[in-house]
Formats: sequence, structure tokens, C-alpha cells
Amino acid sequence: MTSRDEHEMRVGFAGDAKKITVDVPTGDAPPWDLDTRLTSVGGRTRRIDAVAKVTGRARYAYDVDLPGMLHAVVARSPHAAGRLASLDLSAVAALPGVAAVIPLKEPGNRVRFVGDPIAAIAAQRLDQALDALAAVRAEYTTEAAVTDFRDHPDAPELVRGEVVGPWPGRGGDEVAAALAAAAHTAEGTWICEVQTHSCLESHGLVAWFKDDGTLEVWASTQATFGVRGGLASALELPEEKVRVHAEFVGGGFGSKFGADAEGVAAARLSRLVKCPVKLMLSRFEDHTCAGNRPSAIIRIRAGIDARGIITAWDYDAWGGPGYTGRGGGTRHNPTYFTRAKTRNSHRDLDSATDAGRAMRAPGWPQGNFAMEGMVERLAELAGMDGLAFRLLNDADPIRQAEWRLGAERFGWEQRRNPKPGTPRDGDPAHLLRGAGLASAFWGQMGGTGNQVTCRIHQDGTVEARNGAQDIGTGMKTVMAVLTAEELGIAPERIRVTMGDTNDPVGPASGGSTTTPSLAPTVRHAAWLAKAELCERVAAALRVEPGSVRCEGGRVIAGDRALGFDEACRLIGPTPVEATGRRFRNYEGYQDSVAGCQFAAVVVDARTGVVRVEKMLAVQDCGLVIDTLLAENQVLGAMIQGMSYALHEQRIVDRATGRMLNGDFLNYKISGPADLPDMEAIMFPVANGKNNVGAAGLGEPPAIAAPAAIANAVGNAIGIPLRHLPITLDKVLAALAEARRNR
Amino acid sequence: MTSSKVLGTFVVNGEPHEVAYAPHKTLLEVLREDLGLTGTKHGCELGECGACTVLLDGTPVVSCLVLAQEVEGRAIRTIEGLADGPDLHPLQDLFAELGASQCGYCSAGFMLAASELLERNPDPTRDEIRAAVAGNICRCTGYIKIFEAIELAAARLRGEQGQPTREMLYGS
Ligand code: FES
Ligand code: FES
Repeated sequence: MTSRDEHEMRVGFAGDAKKITVDVPTGDAPPWDLDTRLTSVGGRTRRIDAVAKVTGRARYAYDVDLPGMLHAVVARSPHAAGRLASLDLSAVAALPGVAAVIPLKEPGNRVRFVGDPIAAIAAQRLDQALDALAAVRAEYTTEAAVTDFRDHPDAPELVRGEVVGPWPGRGGDEVAAALAAAAHTAEGTWICEVQTHSCLESHGLVAWFKDDGTLEVWASTQATFGVRGGLASALELPEEKVRVHAEFVGGGFGSKFGADAEGVAAARLSRLVKCPVKLMLSRFEDHTCAGNRPSAIIRIRAGIDARGIITAWDYDAWGGPGYTGRGGGTRHNPTYFTRAKTRNSHRDLDSATDAGRAMRAPGWPQGNFAMEGMVERLAELAGMDGLAFRLLNDADPIRQAEWRLGAERFGWEQRRNPKPGTPRDGDPAHLLRGAGLASAFWGQMGGTGNQVTCRIHQDGTVEARNGAQDIGTGMKTVMAVLTAEELGIAPERIRVTMGDTNDPVGPASGGSTTTPSLAPTVRHAAWLAKAELCERVAAALRVEPGSVRCEGGRVIAGDRALGFDEACRLIGPTPVEATGRRFRNYEGYQDSVAGCQFAAVVVDARTGVVRVEKMLAVQDCGLVIDTLLAENQVLGAMIQGMSYALHEQRIVDRATGRMLNGDFLNYKISGPADLPDMEAIMFPVANGKNNVGAAGLGEPPAIAAPAAIANAVGNAIGIPLRHLPITLDKVLAALAEARRNR
Repeated sequence: MTSSKVLGTFVVNGEPHEVAYAPHKTLLEVLREDLGLTGTKHGCELGECGACTVLLDGTPVVSCLVLAQEVEGRAIRTIEGLADGPDLHPLQDLFAELGASQCGYCSAGFMLAASELLERNPDPTRDEIRAAVAGNICRCTGYIKIFEAIELAAARLRGEQGQPTREMLYGS
């Protein structure tokens, strides 16, 4: 058992501040709380690698070019399901430029989706490798395949978009009783299509197996250590012999955690030819073979009591995660249901398509879209406004404050259409306006198991190093800000190195864990380094060690104030070096972060086109380490959510399992032309979970946007649309049906 | 396909470069592979993402759809030529300052498209900006900071100060 010190701290936020006593593990830096006065933290720091990015000097995996480098491509199955019957690669090797070809499947192996890798070819030039694909002779025994989870034998029957059929038998008694006792009940079905990650830089890496038996890799990844581990085990190498670089990465969003079959193939090819081998996926491969957000069917029945409190919540879902048949689970914010009897059931339905991967808040946008849609219906049954209904039911004290702040800033009262389905005063008859809102919940406070090095040199240079990657979130800048804060100097002075597995181990960029996992370690390293700096300065000046401190760019020693550089000259030629560790989380204020979003839309009833006019987010992420970086995350997530709500849909040919829109023209993601007015309000909370108070931010703002937009469309046209994306055909069909029924 | 190369001159960022290159190559490939100018990015190679945007005789083109042979001798500007020596172009400065460049992969394309807009229209409206960068996509930023960066760069090029819109911090 680790020893610990009791520490009193003030946590929460202005509207709900309280004193708590936490057990801080011995050796950890004294935690920051509401009363801590911070200088660099919370500012607007220019990303420390921004100049490299805007000048074109930043080097991504796709940009790596090494002497003698070969180019590799992957031969893939054209069939969705079956077995590889025979594979003949002999004609490939004889082609001009081809240096090596390896099978990735043996005859008899299953092929599981269109695009399943079967062989890899390395050639001197990319065009030679691509030409050589035609010489791969593969035969297959094919099987009939389910290529859409809706066709799975266990899929629920859908009639006019609603699941028909029995509810799960097990564990539903309490919920059934609560439903029977409810004043009002409702039931409905929601459907989400597959979304692809669509990182601008495709997946891939350059692998160089060297003569000394080591493997050096430049990867487009969000997990340098994950790629190292994956390659080491696939090639049966000790991890120390594999070094992975990822200094700049063109997006990941959950799709770039592993080396993947393609990365392993590149490394194996490199081992064969002893040259660097580059293998980057094409845009089509990236859409079809590199993961996606799974589809989902969700049905909910729920009940409220006479006051409008949710008392019964029965949530039943099916996920479509592709050939693995795993990972299609959906999630939703639990804070509305503290007074309800609840049940949650889920089944994954496999299909012969590319496997789902984690994608920004895996399962949450789907689940929250359904959940917030049902909440909207319940509000209607209660005869309440959607905001008032949420204020009545939401148990999260942070979000209570956020709802109020957001509603005021957004103009909820004015933007909400009081007569859904009819034009607002002054609008032409075909323009229907409406507003919607939705919550976000996330429960990631980071974890242990990483280290950070902080080094102070006698010329005043301060280094902070960690081997994890910065995928564009600004993690390098977060490291600079925290180190600077602890040392009392400017963030621009800190030299941060990330993205090299020769540096101390760090987390994968996923689940919004990077910042809360790493930030307390960064601070701990800087805090330790500061202590040693002060000790050395005290020794050099022959003053009491306790009398030296860093503050406002100076080092104060008793009654003397030295400039930081001046003080560093006293430390001698051996740099001060400290290794920070991540201690376990404290009890803290609350284990989750809260957010909410508002959206206003205008729907053209003649064309069915939905335009989002305004989006506003209020989001907690614990301590806001840098306001600019935090807003950047929120704003980007909002548009990804809008894109999911209105545009994105993988279209697969049901007969063959081929993706029909594997490009950016037919697979639309929101572009500049779709941009609404946007506002992000950061809602800082002293959460008392670690020495910084950092919490995750990447995922939560991606959760609320689709639901808020869908609810806004419902408010505009007077009909709830429960199938994403809300494309114009769906809007027109809903309006036509409403006219028929009138 | 044979490996025979042709010799041609490309005028990139004001300097002529004589290059021996495979005649089937696109301008994007010659810039990145033969001239080592990797600031121009490779996003789709289908003309759909704008990451590879460069200026050809001052006009934005998607370099992945331009056959290199066709543009020998013509003026090409890439991101490496946007700054004036060590002085960043105001677009670069503001993309950095506002976080309009997150992963950074789309940034060169946006900035080159925007630089042409600001050349011909020093005071563009938001809709004019929308039109100028409509062919570029970004998966990270949500665009709003890109728009603000372009607006502020325009102001700065006009000699005005211009302040970024600050989002709100609760309690501030
Ligand atoms: S790479 Fe040229 S438009 Fe995408
Ligand atoms: S900053 Fe990542 S794609 Fe635009």
C-alpha cells in the first residue's frame, strides 16, 4: 500500500464550490484547486509546433522519404466472404521494379470483407507496385454473405422504421412495473449508419529493418507505443529493438491505434529486402479497410410520472461492427435516469464488412442521439419545454449550470419554434426553423503508467519529453504550458519532444485520456526538476535550500532575485533531470465531465435541405489548461458531429459488400460551405482528481452535436427524424407523409 | 511502364528547377518526390480534398490532377514559398495564432487557396471566403478558426489591427 498525505482542497466551480479532503499519494506534487492562482495555464498559447505546420516543414509519415526506399501496396480480396482457394505470386516477382512479394493469407484462410489483405508487394516505384497487383493470381471459394447488419438472422424486424418484436425477456420486471405505473409512456426506434474516420492523412507507415536487427518506423499513428508493441510481437522482436516515430500525425479519431496488417506487411517486406519500405493507404483503402464508427439500431421505451420525472427507461440496441462482430456497443448519458428503473440490452450483429474501430467517443453519438430523441418526446408528453424537462431530470450539478448558461447565450427561448412544422413570423412558407439541445457525458479522468522527463540545462533551456504522439490536439503545447507554469517561465521557452518511443512511455491518444493521464505527470516532472534546481542554486549561493523558489520568470533566493537563465548558470554542466510519474487519481469532486450543446437549423421544405445556422457548446474538461486548445477541440468535434448528423454514410452494395462511395466526393463530410455560426464556452471545474485537475476533452463535445441537430430538425418540421444521417430524401419523405396524414 | 525520365524546368516559388522526372507524374508527385517539397499534402489524389492545392500562375489548382508535363515553365507557388524569407505570411501567422491548424495536414491547401482570394479581394465577406475554400476539407478544426484566420489576415494585409473573436470562458 502506498503511503498518502491528507490534503484539503477547494473543488467544484463558482456555483457549487466545496472543501474536500483527499488522500494525495506521498511524493505527488501538491494538487491545484479553485484557490490556486495560475499564470500560463488557462491562457491562449500558440501551438508550439504551429510554425512547422504552417510553413510546410512539419514532416508526417506520408512525407518520409529515405534513400533506397521501396514502395509497397496490398492486394486485397474482392469478395466479402469465403476462403482463399489458391494464391500464386510467382508472376509478380518477375515484374520490373518488384523487389519482394509476400502472402498475407494462406490458401484455406477466410476472407472476411471486400478489402481483406491477401498479399503485399514492394517495388522501387509506387506505379510499379500498383501495376504488379494485376499479376497476383488468387482464387476463392465464395460464400453468400450478410453485408448489412439489418440482414443478419438475429436482426430485429423493422416495419416503417420501427423495431417490431419482443423486448428482451431477462431482467425487465422492474422496468415493466415502472412502465405500468408511469403517467405517460413512449416507445421508438432510432437508426445510425456507418461513419468512416476520414483522417486527412491516410493510414500507413515507413518501416526500415536495419542490418543491426533493429526496426525503425515512421508511422501515422495515435499510439506510438501500441505500434511498437504490435510490430515487435508480429516480427518476434524485443520491443527495445523497435523504435517508432510519429512527430506529426494527420488525424486519427480512433482509427490509428495499431500497426494494422498493412504496417506489419511493410515491416516484413523491409526485413526481406533490408531497405526502408513505405506503405500508405489510398483514400479508397482508408475508407474501406481502416475502420469506422459502427451502425446501430436502438429502441427505447420509457415512462414519466405526473410531474415529468423519468421513472422507467428500457434501452435495447443492436450494433453493426463488421466482420469481428465486436465493439458495436452504444452508450448514453446516465444522468437523467437517477430516479428511473433502467435496463440496458445490447447485441452485436456481425456482417462481412470492414471492422469497426473506436471512433471519437465510441458508441456515444449513436446512443445519445436515440436517448435525447426519446427525452424530447417525453418532454412533449409532459407538456414541458425541452430545456425545462432536462433541468428537471438532469442530476449533474455541472450540467445544470451549463444548461442555464448555454440557453441564455444561445437564445433558446427565441430560437425554439413554438409551433413546430410552421414557419416563424416573417419567414417564407417553405422555410422552417427550429432549435434543439442535447447533453454530453464523459467519464475519463486518465490513468497511471506513464512517465515524463524534465531537464533543465545550464544555458536555461528546459526540455519536456514523452514518447507519445500529438495528433493535432496540442499535447506538446499542453506539456509546455504545464512545465512553464511550474517553473514560472513562459511556455514558449519549453522545448517539448513527443512522438519517439525512445523517450519515456506515454498513453495512446484515445478515449480523451491523453491529457488527464499525462498532464499530472508533466507537472510532477517539472515540480521535481524545480526542487532540484532550487537545491543546486541554494548550494551555489550558500543559502538555505528552503529559501529558493521560482516565480514570475525569476528564481528568488532569500533576498536575491536572479533571472531564470542566470540561476540556471549555477547548476553546472550536468543538467537537472527529473522523471515524473503518474500517481493514481484522488476521490475528487466528480468522476465525469459534463457538457451540453444547442443547435439552430433552417429546413427548406421544398428541397429537404437542412442548414445548421448556429451551434453553441458549453463544455467542462476539468481545469482548462489552455483555452485556445480546448476551444479548438470543442469546435472541431461539433462539426464532426454535424457531419455525422447530416451527411456521412458509408454505402455498401448489399449484394457484393463493396463500398460504393469510398472517396470524398460521394462520401460527404461537412465542408467550409456548411459552416454555421459557432460558439464554444469552456466551463472550468476544479475536479480534484489529480495534481492538475485535468480531465478528458476530445470525445465529449462529439457526443451532443448529432442529437442536438436532430432535435432541432424535429422542432423545425414538427416530425422527429430518427435515422441518421438526416439527408434531404428523409426530410422530404417525412414532410410528404405528414401532408398525407393531415 | 518504363522508367525513362524526361527533363523539364519547373519554376517553383520564383526559382527555376531542372528536374528529371517520370513523364506520367502529377505536379503533386514532382513537387513532393522530385523536388522534396513535402509541404504540399497528399489527401486523396482524386481532386476532392484540396490538401494538395498550389498556385499555378497565381490560380489555385489541385496539384494531384495536374500533369506535371503540362506546367513546365509556369509559375508555381507552394506553401514553402508563402513566407517572405523568415517573415511568415499573415495567413501563416494567424493560422498559427488561432489554432486554425490542428493536425495541420489540410493547412497548406487552405492557406494557398486563401492567399489567392486575398490577392484579388482584400476585404472578402464570409461568403466570399466560403466560396474560395469550398474545395478544401478539414477533419479537425471545424473550419471556424480557419475563417477567422483568413478574415484577420485580410485585415492585417490592409494595414488594420483586427482582433480575434474570443470564445467565452465561463466566469471570465
Ligand atoms: S490530394 Fe489533391 S485534392 Fe486531395
Ligand atoms: S487540421 Fe487536421 S485536417 Fe485540417
